[in-house]
Amino acid sequence: MIKLAARFQVIYVGIMIWLIGRLLEAASKVDKMMQQEIVALPAAFAFSMGVLPRGPVFTVQKQVDGTLYCARRNDTIAADLAISFKHVKHAFLILSFQESTARSFANDRMLLDGDLNLAMIIVRCLDRMECLVLPKFIAMRAVKRYPSISLGQKLNLATRIYFQLLVGFFRRSHV
Amino acid sequence: MSNNFYEFFCPVKVIAGRAALEHAPFELSVRGAGKVLLITDEGIKAAGLLQHVLTAFDSSEVDIATVYDQVPIDSSMSVIKEIANIYRQHQCDSMIAIGGGSVIDTSKAVNILVSEGGDDLLAYSGHGCLKHPLKPLFVVPTTAGTGSEVTSVAVIKDEDNERKVGFSSHFLFPDVAILDPRMTLSLPPHITAMTAMDALTHACEAAIGIAKNPISDAYAHGAIEKVSQNLMTVMDNPGDIDGRMELAQAATMAGIAFSNSMVGVVHSLGHSVGAICHLPHGMCMSIFLPYALEYNLEKCRQEIAKLLLPLVGAERFSQVPEPQRAEASIRVIREMRDQLYELCQLPRTLKETGKVQKDQFEAIATATLNDGSIIFNAKEVRFDDAMTLLETAWA
Repeated sequence: MIKLAARFQVIYVGIMIWLIGRLLEAASKVDKMMQQEIVALPAAFAFSMGVLPRGPVFTVQKQVDGTLYCARRNDTIAADLAISFKHVKHAFLILSFQESTARSFANDRMLLDGDLNLAMIIVRCLDRMECLVLPKFIAMRAVKRYPSISLGQKLNLATRIYFQLLVGFFRRSHV
Repeated sequence: MSNNFYEFFCPVKVIAGRAALEHAPFELSVRGAGKVLLITDEGIKAAGLLQHVLTAFDSSEVDIATVYDQVPIDSSMSVIKEIANIYRQHQCDSMIAIGGGSVIDTSKAVNILVSEGGDDLLAYSGHGCLKHPLKPLFVVPTTAGTGSEVTSVAVIKDEDNERKVGFSSHFLFPDVAILDPRMTLSLPPHITAMTAMDALTHACEAAIGIAKNPISDAYAHGAIEKVSQNLMTVMDNPGDIDGRMELAQAATMAGIAFSNSMVGVVHSLGHSVGAICHLPHGMCMSIFLPYALEYNLEKCRQEIAKLLLPLVGAERFSQVPEPQRAEASIRVIREMRDQLYELCQLPRTLKETGKVQKDQFEAIATATLNDGSIIFNAKEVRFDDAMTLLETAWA
């Protein structure tokens, strides 16, 4: 039973890592607040998030138009900032919203290779994206403070983000 | 605020008290070290403090290979490379840092280069990027505030990219911290006040942040008690060697606390104001501490209330009704600042510093949000919150 639960966590984390990179890309095309955050990142800045030692990882890179691009399987983009969970269980805790990003940092669940100041921008982008795409009662577990956003605004942005996600997925499958 | 997980780690041997410096040669020899590089700054040398250390090695078999006494206030990558080259030229095998935060952080960064090899310090920036133990590093603090002698962090200026770069690793902890009362006895009053308020801030933020834990709480509360009981005594009588020692220990205890539970928005604001307006770190801490505690009240009222006991002692604490203790803690800190303003004109507001302009607030608030310590603050800080805090701290 314990092994089964561990196996489930590995699969869940793999799916979530895959999804988060693409959701960041989609949200960066839709949400103005996230775009304002991305402006402060250096040109072509690349960020990765993954699980040690050889777990799943996604890499996103800032594009010339100020959006994010989630690297595809054959891309070779070296990350300027890498956040690595020390164990798949730690990744599971945050990706299943049992621990917020801040709590995960505080609990030393991850290694951070790169500029800590830029990591704060990435954390805000992740928080923002989670607040937009997740139901409020789940998002409140993932962030320290839920933003003041009306249901209408949220539904509008969430719909457009998920639409962008589908568009991105469709494009990838035809490249 | 509940946290069902924590890590606590402090591998630093603390040697404190009378003739503590004279333990250094033996402690180095048992670590296999025989050729030491002393790293310090001009001020320490001019104050004659270096001589205490040199004399301690007079009758030992451990050699002081050379002394580097040009560490600037704001150390940079080029300084680190220069010192690392001196270390290699003299075939040193260990280091002693004598000074305040800049000297200590510089020495930690030098230790990365001389232990890992090469000249690319940036390759080791970030959190947890060192994989091997470093060379023996001893630290002799000459201020009672930074706590760097017991922390695993170093911050260095990257002059090419005009930014500060952080290094954090358990291997960055010094091996030994030597607290010798001779080394802080000549601190001028305003620096004594600033550095003690720095230590108080470390302890307060460690006791209310999201990474707090029972062990760091014990160190934090102990540090607060020592500062509150001894700061004014030392301000009145700078030659009070016992009081000085208590403040030095408070700084170290606060350092142990915040190295494990980190700091929050006071430091985020302080780092930003320090970088943009060039104000001393301890001064920034003293200015922002009460305002940041007020800001955090709604998230950690209970933790702030608990600060009252070490701040005022059991008798006064018991006279304050429980619901009023958080506000009382903040009031006591304000009173301390008022006293320090009277004794040495330590500014209580940004306006009183005479070095901050209101049109710098937006840049400060932006930098505050990108400061690494912000994530450990109990309440999430947004741009508007940072602006409000700056306005509140203005006058």
